[in-house]
Amino acid sequence: MKKVLVLAAAIAFVVLGATAFATTYGKAPGAGDPVKLSELLASPEQYVGKIVKVEGVITDVCAKRGCWMAIAGDKEFQSIRFKVEDGVIVIPLEAKGKQAVAEGTFTKVEMTKEQAIEAAKHHAEEQKQPFDPASVTGPTVTYQLMGTGAIIE
Amino acid sequence: MNWRKLNRAVHRDAGYFCAALTIVYAISGLAVNHVSDWNPNYKIERVEKRFTSIPITSREEMVAALVDRLDLPGAPKSSFRSAPHLVDLFYDGWSVRADAQAGRATIERPRDRALLRDANFLHLNHPKGLWTWFADGYAILLALLAISGLFILRGRNGITGRGLWFSLAGLAVPVVFVVVMRYL
Repeated sequence: MKKVLVLAAAIAFVVLGATAFATTYGKAPGAGDPVKLSELLASPEQYVGKIVKVEGVITDVCAKRGCWMAIAGDKEFQSIRFKVEDGVIVIPLEAKGKQAVAEGTFTKVEMTKEQAIEAAKHHAEEQKQPFDPASVTGPTVTYQLMGTGAIIE
Repeated sequence: MNWRKLNRAVHRDAGYFCAALTIVYAISGLAVNHVSDWNPNYKIERVEKRFTSIPITSREEMVAALVDRLDLPGAPKSSFRSAPHLVDLFYDGWSVRADAQAGRATIERPRDRALLRDANFLHLNHPKGLWTWFADGYAILLALLAISGLFILRGRNGITGRGLWFSLAGLAVPVVFVVVMRYL
């Protein structure tokens, strides 16, 4: 009896341990292979409006609302913002540095210079980082994932 | 039992039941209302450090050099470069952002705001699932409390006297806000 209990405890430990390390936020991403970020950013127009899954290290998280995270790509200096609806999914600040598999609609975000300055200023304020308006030199086109769900580590 | 007696009993017991969560939601409400002025969930400790700049090489080499220069506790869990000279090092629950060229680093340690993060967790329905049902029930009880409260007293101070004016004043405030902010 004792052996059975020890075995059951060991199995429970392994099963619970495995699930405890990965948390699903929102809807679990589908079974398909993730798309490489370098591939997405090399031909973004091909993916706009489509549901894509990406994988990578979380490099930044919205500190106040947990309403977005940045995910690093397979190549250096590349990352993409995974934006979620405020309050529907909340990404904890502790997620920074962890591995994520995230899925959402690949979206094009076009901004005038003024809008881009405002957005960058807001981001810098939120992250308590210095901001120089001169760093925004003109209208911007960026891409982000409008997230439906993610699994973090 | 006449209806007034029943009303009082419902108001009293629902009031006792809702008291704790109402206080929790009220505190969280105050905290999240001012989210643009402060972070209601975390207290983020930031420590600035200066170091002798390091050459821009591979990420691995730069990370190793930063660990050494900044006297960090070993290799990070993961790292990232957003630009050749900007390196992020991620440890368990804290991180470092370094500008290798400028020789400037920020060590960032977020800490939970004691109890407040838990209150916000419930108030903003982050648990979802079963909590949604409980919170729905709580909302219905709050409505019941408000309605039953209107009919507790009779006479001069009741809903036909003083109570009416205060109730109308309470209704007028949100109505004026909606009319002014949305329709004018």
